[in-house]
Amino acid sequence: MPNRLTWLTRFTGMMLAVLVGLGLSACKILPTPVAQSENNAPAFKPDKMVEDIWASKVIPYLKQKAGPFAEVHALAKTDPAAAGAKYGNPRKQANSPWTFAVRVEGKIIAANTQSRAATMDIDVDGDGKADARVQIGPAMRGTALRDSLDFVQFNDFTNQIDFAQFGKAFNAYADKAVLSKLPREALEGRAAKMVGAYTIEGGQDLPLVTPAEAEIGPKP
Amino acid sequence: MKLTRRITLAAFAGVLALGTAMPAYAADLIAIITPSHDNPFFKAEAVGAEAKAKELGYEALVLVHDDDANKQSELIDTAIGRGAKAIILDNAGADATVAAVQKAKDAGIPSFLIDREINATGVAVAQIVSNNYQGAQLGAQEFVKLMGEKGNFVELVGKESDTNAGIRSKGYHDVIDDYPDLKMVTQQSANWSQTEAYSKMESILQANPDIKGVISGNDTMAMGAYAALAAANRKDVIVVGFDGSNDVRDSITSGGIKATVLQPAFAQAQMAVEQANDFIKNKKSPEKEKQLMDCVLVNGENAAKLETFALKN
Repeated sequence: MPNRLTWLTRFTGMMLAVLVGLGLSACKILPTPVAQSENNAPAFKPDKMVEDIWASKVIPYLKQKAGPFAEVHALAKTDPAAAGAKYGNPRKQANSPWTFAVRVEGKIIAANTQSRAATMDIDVDGDGKADARVQIGPAMRGTALRDSLDFVQFNDFTNQIDFAQFGKAFNAYADKAVLSKLPREALEGRAAKMVGAYTIEGGQDLPLVTPAEAEIGPKP
Repeated sequence: MKLTRRITLAAFAGVLALGTAMPAYAADLIAIITPSHDNPFFKAEAVGAEAKAKELGYEALVLVHDDDANKQSELIDTAIGRGAKAIILDNAGADATVAAVQKAKDAGIPSFLIDREINATGVAVAQIVSNNYQGAQLGAQEFVKLMGEKGNFVELVGKESDTNAGIRSKGYHDVIDDYPDLKMVTQQSANWSQTEAYSKMESILQANPDIKGVISGNDTMAMGAYAALAAANRKDVIVVGFDGSNDVRDSITSGGIKATVLQPAFAQAQMAVEQANDFIKNKKSPEKEKQLMDCVLVNGENAAKLETFALKN
């Protein structure tokens, strides 16, 4: 009996070896089909991601959420939480300031197009004083567009580099698709109209709005 | 067989010894593991976490891993061995740390990460990190403004194993590279070290006397660079740092370094301990694992309000 068992074990072992051998010889070594990045993760393409959602999700979301600048900003100053609930991203990071979706419509009363981070100051209530500063690129500050969207979550990204590059991709796309096409000369006095977002920050002279859509009227 | 019995006996003896050595009312333990306290930033984290742990009735075990992933792994073993109820960790590498934190998790000990994130979710209970990228953008925007959007500059980068070194550098370039008239003449690592930054800056200055600015990945390197510039009578060179240390605050208020970016290190460490406490006592995890805390620009306007990695009102 014990002999038979040993024999069986040996036989099974041999069969296994043969099977494994067969299996191996049946294998063909194939090159890795797709070139992958160093850590074997699929390549992260923030610009493509933004392009894919811009017209279908980003613009509709901002348009639906945005309030007139004067209204949003007045509420933001007196009751940030209420303004956040109405115009902000309710799923923002708990420690981050509110970012609001806004429509800015008014007259350009000043412009700085010398800096690469060009801006124009807009008077929305007709009192001759600037109420908001709108970034018109090509260099743009902050991540207001990204942070205004309730369907974008930091926890969905591998790390803050990816998250930040995604934020930058929104600015780059706005610049490419919208802002680079705006006039740069003799802006003062013209009418301007945009939809975008801004973040409440301390130490700023004027709220800094990042537009996702913008139009500038003809010279007066 | 014999060996097993010996180990069992030893363990039994150990339990007995512990039982007699420790009073019955011994407090629960929280392990606080950070990089070396030579850098006041990490010291502030440890001090903040320890103070909060004691305030909440815990005993604190404060350890340093010196940015060595192997040492970190041993310290995690120590925390497990000592029966810590939670680990507060400023880690030694985004990839290398995942296994160590998993090991603690497998032993039933939750980890709460501060300052640096790891490249995995679902392993630590919380990752409370400064938004280094946002902070770097703030620092770079100020740098660009100070430079008048043009001129030659030098970048000092931190220790390569530290994720934040890369994040900050990327954040700086995210802004600076939009200005083609700003030219980086050299980019070198000084490993977060003040002395290394001093000697690197000395030789950089010899090779590139025409520099107008230095942007540094942290404050200790900014201090080293500024000292070298001052020694070479080049106090005109614009220096911007990162962290918000008291040393750089003093330099800013006396007209030396121009700006830095405050990371809320102290608040962050305390928040991690509060979340650990909530987890231990109420079995409650924070709503989101990854929590970003925004950084704040510190320059001549608000430097006087800075004290131990926090801005006073």
